Amino acid sequence: MTDDTDTTDERTDGGGTGIVPPDDETPTWSERKARKQGLSRLTYEYFERARREDQDLRQQSSYVERDVLGFPAWPHETVRNLSLASFFVGMIIVLAATLPPHIDAPANPSTTPAVILPDWYLYWSFGLLKLGFLNPDLSLLGGEKLMSDRTYGVVANLVVVGFVAIVPFLNKGSARRPVEQPFWASVGVAGVVFAFTIAVLSIKNLVPIGEGLLNDLTFLLPIVAGFISYAVLKSMREGYMFNLNRRYYRLRPPK
Amino acid sequence: MSLERKDDHDHDAWLESRDDLSHIETVYLTVLMWLDRRLRIVDYLEMLENLYYKVNMQMPKSHTEQYGLDNKFWYWYPLYALGSFSTLAYIVAAISGALLGFYYTPGAGASESASLAYTQIEFIMVELNFGFFLRSLHRWSAQVMVAAVFLHMLRVYFTGAYKEPRELNWLLGIVLISLTMVFGYTGYLLPWDQLAFWAGQIGVEMSLSIPLIGEWVAQLLFGGFTPNPATLQRMYILHVFFLPFIVTTLIAIHIGIVWMQGIAEPH
Repeated sequence: MTDDTDTTDERTDGGGTGIVPPDDETPTWSERKARKQGLSRLTYEYFERARREDQDLRQQSSYVERDVLGFPAWPHETVRNLSLASFFVGMIIVLAATLPPHIDAPANPSTTPAVILPDWYLYWSFGLLKLGFLNPDLSLLGGEKLMSDRTYGVVANLVVVGFVAIVPFLNKGSARRPVEQPFWASVGVAGVVFAFTIAVLSIKNLVPIGEGLLNDLTFLLPIVAGFISYAVLKSMREGYMFNLNRRYYRLRPPK
Repeated sequence: MSLERKDDHDHDAWLESRDDLSHIETVYLTVLMWLDRRLRIVDYLEMLENLYYKVNMQMPKSHTEQYGLDNKFWYWYPLYALGSFSTLAYIVAAISGALLGFYYTPGAGASESASLAYTQIEFIMVELNFGFFLRSLHRWSAQVMVAAVFLHMLRVYFTGAYKEPRELNWLLGIVLISLTMVFGYTGYLLPWDQLAFWAGQIGVEMSLSIPLIGEWVAQLLFGGFTPNPATLQRMYILHVFFLPFIVTTLIAIHIGIVWMQGIAEPH
């Protein structure tokens, strides 16, 4: 046992790791990490860098912690959340008590019911399955279709969900509000209207118009709604800009 | 050198030296020391103490409070509660579903008359005390959850809350909304009435029309190429075993990421 192990002040109250290398040859944990090879070495270097960056940012920041930041978590925040939660659960209970569901006839494979529909939230998907009329017959294949109508419907579902999934990678930038991004907001409006029109398409015979007209309206109405909302949002933005400019020129009248 | 383990901190001597302790205090300290030597509970007591003080901490100011945007955004606030509402509806559905599970049995049978599942639902609705209401509550909380999830997605879209750094949570949300609809679909099939049977037929046809692996998927999910007793059994296991675990975990991760990244309010 050497002198320095006795003189070092071992803190076992959570001040450090409390792990002391038995002799000078034994590497400490940070030395072991620094000696690593390959991917773990890269990970170590990255985290060391990130830690330094955080440290720098913290030192540069002018953020001052105030005595009172906001609402106390207990009891104010908790009581408010609990009361909102009970109100909401109460609403579900009222719905359940006033509009209970009923049950159909037992399953019978030999009689097909007149109306076959999924629950309402799957109408859009069910409507996409009925898009066979869009499936082109390719003259290249001698009037044959590339894929069957059923497969076409499933692919249409995948396309819609896939498009929604990649939205964050298409629409970048710091714009948040619909007025700041009229194009993407109108794409959203068109999507919502399309969800409704395709749902109507899935429930055939819901609206008393011809099938061709219904098919056309399914795709035309969303486009029209998109154009209208684009125009409205654009003009709202112009209005904001007009006000901003007016204020600017009031303060600094043009010479 | 003795093989007997030494008590480094000599607890017993310390206890001896305290002669001002009452009987209860001595017993308490002895038990505490016995447990602490084995489980090191002092660390956990410290954590509890920490938590106690943290409960009295104040929530940080939200973005709107910090920048005085309340006057502009108060009408957005209900839309920001939709995520919590769907979680609450999920909890209500989980509780009422567990209660329904006490009475429901999946069993389609091959007979022309009502299946076991159907008669069990009939029993729940007619015989069971509060059964009619329980089924209604389960169904309505599921409907409300799906509606809240859809509106939540629209709110996130129209306030641009999916943008960097929140892309991953958007993708997770897409997975969650799809799983919610699968949850609804599997539940829709469980009563095994006419609607359930023919909705099952649509599901089978959808999976059959997937190129290359369609038949395999139909076998795996529906246990055949037409709705049959195996279909009901599989939908039941999906509905009460697989989906609850998966969806609960994903919801926890989804909310955890929101917690870590903070709420994205428009500015």
